[in-house]
Amino acid sequence: MINPVTFEVIKHRLWQINDEQGIAIKTISASAIVVEGNDYNVGLFTRNAELVTAGVGSLVHVTTMGDALSSIIDKAGTIADGDVFMTNDPFLGALHQNDVVVAAPLFRNGEVFMWIGNVVHHADVGGIDAGSFCINARTLDDDPPRFFMKIMDRGELVVENEQTFVNNSRLPDAVALDLRAQIGAVNVARTRLVDLLDERGEELVEEVMIRSIDLAEEQVRNFIHGLPDGEWAGEAFMDGVRVGDERICRVALKLICDGDTLRFDFNGSSEQVDAAVNSTYPATVAGSAVPLYSFLCQGDIDWNDGLKRCIDIIAPEGTVVNASYPAPVSISTVGFRWLVTVAATQAVANMFNSSPKHRDRACPSWNSSSNCNNLFAELPNGARTGGLLSDHRGSGAAGRSFADGFHHAGTITSYASSLGNVEGSELKFPIRYLYRRRMQDSAGAGRFRGGSTSEVALTPHGVDQIVLKLTNTAGTEQTNAHGIDGGYPGAGSQSAMVRNADRAILSGKTGQIPDIVGIGGELTWLPSKADEVIREGDVYGFWAAGGGGFGDPLARPPVAVAADVRDDVVSRGEAERLYGVILRDDGTPDSNGTLVRRNAIREYRRAEAQPTNVRLNFSCPTCDGKIGYGTIRRPLRHAGPLIALRYDGDGPNFALEETVCLDCGALAAVHEILKEQPESSEGAVS
Amino acid sequence: MNVRHSSPRYSNIGVDTGGTFTDLVLIDELGAIRTEKSFSTPDAPETGIFDVLNRSAAVLNTTVPEILSRTNIFAHGTTVSTNALITRRGARVGILFTAGFEDTLAIGRGPVGRVGGLPQSMAMDFIHTEPPPPLVPQHMIRGVAERIDAAGEVVVPIDIAATRVAISDLVEAGAESLAVCLLWAFRNPQHEDRVAEICADFAPEIPISLSHRIAPRIGEFERAVTTVVNAYVGPVTQKYIGELQDGLSNDGLANPIQIMTSTGGAARAEDMDRQAVSVINSGPTAGLVAARFLGNQLGDEKIITADMGGTSFDVGLIDGNTLEEDPHPYLNQGLPISLPAVKLVTIGAGGGSIAWTDGYRLHVGPQSAGANPGPAAYDKGGVEPTVTDALLVCGIIDPDNFFGGSYALNPDLSHKAILDRIAYPMGMSVDDAAAGILEIVNARMANLIRKVTIESGHDPAAFVLYAYGGATAAHSAEFARQLGIGKLVLPYAGPVFSALGVAISDIHYSHSRSEPVMLNSDALSVVNRNFVHLRDLAISNIDAAGLDRAGFNFRHRIELRYAGQMNEVTLDWPRGNMEETDIVTLRRMFEDLYGHRFGAGTTHADTPIELISFRVEAVHPTQKPSLAEIKPAFTAPAAPKSRKIFIREQGHIDAEIYDFRYLVPATMILGPAVIERDTTTIWIPPGNSAQMDKYGNIVIGMEAHE
Repeated sequence: MINPVTFEVIKHRLWQINDEQGIAIKTISASAIVVEGNDYNVGLFTRNAELVTAGVGSLVHVTTMGDALSSIIDKAGTIADGDVFMTNDPFLGALHQNDVVVAAPLFRNGEVFMWIGNVVHHADVGGIDAGSFCINARTLDDDPPRFFMKIMDRGELVVENEQTFVNNSRLPDAVALDLRAQIGAVNVARTRLVDLLDERGEELVEEVMIRSIDLAEEQVRNFIHGLPDGEWAGEAFMDGVRVGDERICRVALKLICDGDTLRFDFNGSSEQVDAAVNSTYPATVAGSAVPLYSFLCQGDIDWNDGLKRCIDIIAPEGTVVNASYPAPVSISTVGFRWLVTVAATQAVANMFNSSPKHRDRACPSWNSSSNCNNLFAELPNGARTGGLLSDHRGSGAAGRSFADGFHHAGTITSYASSLGNVEGSELKFPIRYLYRRRMQDSAGAGRFRGGSTSEVALTPHGVDQIVLKLTNTAGTEQTNAHGIDGGYPGAGSQSAMVRNADRAILSGKTGQIPDIVGIGGELTWLPSKADEVIREGDVYGFWAAGGGGFGDPLARPPVAVAADVRDDVVSRGEAERLYGVILRDDGTPDSNGTLVRRNAIREYRRAEAQPTNVRLNFSCPTCDGKIGYGTIRRPLRHAGPLIALRYDGDGPNFALEETVCLDCGALAAVHEILKEQPESSEGAVS
Repeated sequence: MNVRHSSPRYSNIGVDTGGTFTDLVLIDELGAIRTEKSFSTPDAPETGIFDVLNRSAAVLNTTVPEILSRTNIFAHGTTVSTNALITRRGARVGILFTAGFEDTLAIGRGPVGRVGGLPQSMAMDFIHTEPPPPLVPQHMIRGVAERIDAAGEVVVPIDIAATRVAISDLVEAGAESLAVCLLWAFRNPQHEDRVAEICADFAPEIPISLSHRIAPRIGEFERAVTTVVNAYVGPVTQKYIGELQDGLSNDGLANPIQIMTSTGGAARAEDMDRQAVSVINSGPTAGLVAARFLGNQLGDEKIITADMGGTSFDVGLIDGNTLEEDPHPYLNQGLPISLPAVKLVTIGAGGGSIAWTDGYRLHVGPQSAGANPGPAAYDKGGVEPTVTDALLVCGIIDPDNFFGGSYALNPDLSHKAILDRIAYPMGMSVDDAAAGILEIVNARMANLIRKVTIESGHDPAAFVLYAYGGATAAHSAEFARQLGIGKLVLPYAGPVFSALGVAISDIHYSHSRSEPVMLNSDALSVVNRNFVHLRDLAISNIDAAGLDRAGFNFRHRIELRYAGQMNEVTLDWPRGNMEETDIVTLRRMFEDLYGHRFGAGTTHADTPIELISFRVEAVHPTQKPSLAEIKPAFTAPAAPKSRKIFIREQGHIDAEIYDFRYLVPATMILGPAVIERDTTTIWIPPGNSAQMDKYGNIVIGMEAHE
């Protein structure tokens, strides 16, 4: 076997070469979401298309790229030295049409030795909706075109193919630069890999690549082996699949730990829809693996395809998590792929939470909705501008078993998923932000509360109107911002349009700028997919989800609640209502008042809870009581003031279900459940 | 009186306060360099400075006032600002943001403000890596109703009455320093200037940092970090420098002291209101300044600097006379700034870096045993093997003669630590494990250097490597070889390299400003106006400092990109103005640089070019000494000793061991050999050769001698 020292040395070199690829992309790219938001990724692959090294960008990009590479290997007429291929075809392995895969073989001795690849989210690749998240699509014909071609032929740019791709975009200059960024990145990596191979030889480098995947597999298998065998549930809903269609769809997940394998069983998920939110099978595999990379591998186990060998994904064909051709899929990555990750994150957190040794890794939600906003406008000089805002990365993460959740956590697919600067967006788009700020009461209540989200409001600036294509994953009724162990969900992901806002506020005459509901004009809470025009004098506001809480909020130390109130994370009203903490005028907790209030809440819970017929074989972790649990059903708004705003806090489809210890009144679980489905979702109490 | 008459005058004194030592470099009129070291006194750094001055005076048989009254330039590198930031012991800052954007720091661009600047492995640990503690509590932040847009037009006039209330609230709440960060203030400073006027009216004693003065560049988060950190460390820094200045003046120093900054130049005490933030992390920068100086003397133009200490390894780049720069350096976790600094890339690889295995792989770092407990061999309770322990086991360092014998090392403890923690669990011999630790850490350092050079479009093989810092020389020949570097220089002044850089640092005023404009005829007036404006700012600094304008060189730079891109490349523009015919020239310069970096097929002739920022740097070169030749005490080198050194795949081989003190210039030393100096251990691998040059530098030729 290879010497461990040589292995470490070469592996690190491969990692660095790949990192160089990413830096090249960020330097050349013309896209705010790529450069400031890291919506791209880079990878090195074996000749058999197995991922050896993933970059720091969006994880799902490279974990699907092996599928795209396999398609290229399978379908390409000839593969020659100096060729560079590109495809954005989701049925060949791309995540969705915006995510353009560029891949190049590296030849040694006349044969393909390995592959270099990268993926960039392009601002627009055609299709019926600007920005190419086709919120109006019903069939694949409405979706953006799917390309599969050689962009470099033996080292020469194939101008005809480049033109075909570029001219199908609404933003030809931007996609042209981004495609060059991808080619430049491959060039950089190839040059450096050739140096490495000249220095170390093919045999050794290949051995390191294969061994690094094998080793990650071995480490992951051993880790899984140390987890208790069992079954845990995860769930996520979509409230609206395209413009004008607000049907409710479900991702149902059973996570089974069996020896050294994890099985993700998506049976029970909704049938595929005539809307572009469907996820393909490779996207579902990638989406399921996300919380395992982030919470299982962390910085300890290399992020490569070794992990994928340890998981089985069961996703019935024809469902939203395994859509069959010709389903439209252009929204996949912020559609059902996103919700697959939401459900998987919850299930994985439930699994870790069941084992004291692994509890510190449990985090049940992390940016549970991608509130994506594509803006397009014509500038006064006739030029067209457009693209995706990155503000939804201000979303919160759930509380942890030992500390509060992170505010403004980015996404769970990349630790580098950042928000762009307001000034960067205002330079690029004809808009003026009225505010971008932390949102009070958006953090899910809990013993360890979730993290807050940020909210923005903006108005056209220098143009009469802006086209808005809103692609909010979900969250306008139920939030999917799961808590755990009795923690409440965080704020739902929501957008609002205010027509003809108060001119005095827009002109700044009123000083501080009120919340979106206080900005005058006529306010509409938008559904999760919306096709709108923001006109001069209108204000558009939105936020992504907050993080869910960890544990019963009544167990949170009153001083911690007081600090949250001081810092405007929690309002006084919610401190009293959800945390049972009474504050004195000086902001310090009134301990007697708090005691009385908390007892009253527990008493109310015990009185209201309907005993369940579920037999429990364990005692309440709070009081050790064995009487059992009951459930209380409440309107969603009980979890916080930023949920189901379209329905005044009580939606037509969902309710909040609290699971309560009948002995002590402690909360054991809080779930958002379908009203039509009387029994509590599986795994509520594990 | 005769003594006084004959005593020399000193052109430069540089004092660098480090974590352990306060170093002094004294350069006399003839260019002779004297050095001195003394322990640092972290609670009162000026004590350490006077200690080292006293030691120097004693050696010279004179007094401190005698030295200071004859000194032209006294320059200082301090960690006071860095420490204030890291330990969160800066001023109580009140911040004014544009209303609606009060949470700019709290939101922190999400993960940028949480894990930005951390090592990869920590950032990848999603759930356990905590955000850095905030610099300013939420209740010390106020919004001001006002708004300027991207074009610099006032959209909402500033609310003067509300601004007064906000400032008085903050002062009442205990603000000792104010930071003002309004959106687009760098395009139109009018509102920030109004805030400053209001503040001057009723709180004139409170220092105020305005974002358009501190860092007039696009991107409100990074600009706010820069401004707020300046406000945070400014008062501490100014107080310290003021007191030090008083102390030195009392002892006869005539001129104002100069403070080293991370721009590679020095600033005056009176510049600290604007430049305190630049004092942070300035120590390592001084090393690059010294390397550039030495390079000029030795005729080396392209230099990679490598500085390995107990916990970290820093790499810098010098091309021609230019120190490579970083447009967005991180001060610390979650704190990126928008003030360009000399580029120094760091990884956690030092003598104290801990080697460990998870049962699968052999890792080195990023955890460090530091000085306490330190390597296992220190016998201070450390049980984990470090890089120093591996050097000891392989025989590269001598347990009885480490740092001139000032640390007693116990090699048995090193052996045991490597056996217990690495060799046994991984089924290797102790020798192989020790050599493996070195190979991994050397490869990581080589990879970092590759990254730094290639990222900037350079080939490391075209560079000379200058290695300094106590732990570097035991490794530098190994990683230089991996990089194909032909020549390695271990400077004579290496042990006080930062102090040398401080002593010879140039006065440096840098001003930049963002004003995005497309590259066409309309851009010319924007370019010319900005260059004039920035040059005027620099000239006002020069005048305020009472310096002679004629002594300054001006450098003009443009940051530009393809229209629509989000990152810029920086080009030196040869003049302070631009004409119609220059449009084509600038485009060609941009595309040359671009194509060179990213290869064929990446430039794009159809895409317009956008100019983003402009910069003017005014540099007043200090008088540089000429290096004096060393005068060896011997005419022939002392005969070397010998010891066994372990090399993987070769086993134990005999190496010659030289004492640095008894070396004579020009004598050829063939590897395998070790040169022991009281501050460092120099390893010369088999096949390489070393020579001391006439200035006392050890120069290793990396070409094979087989």
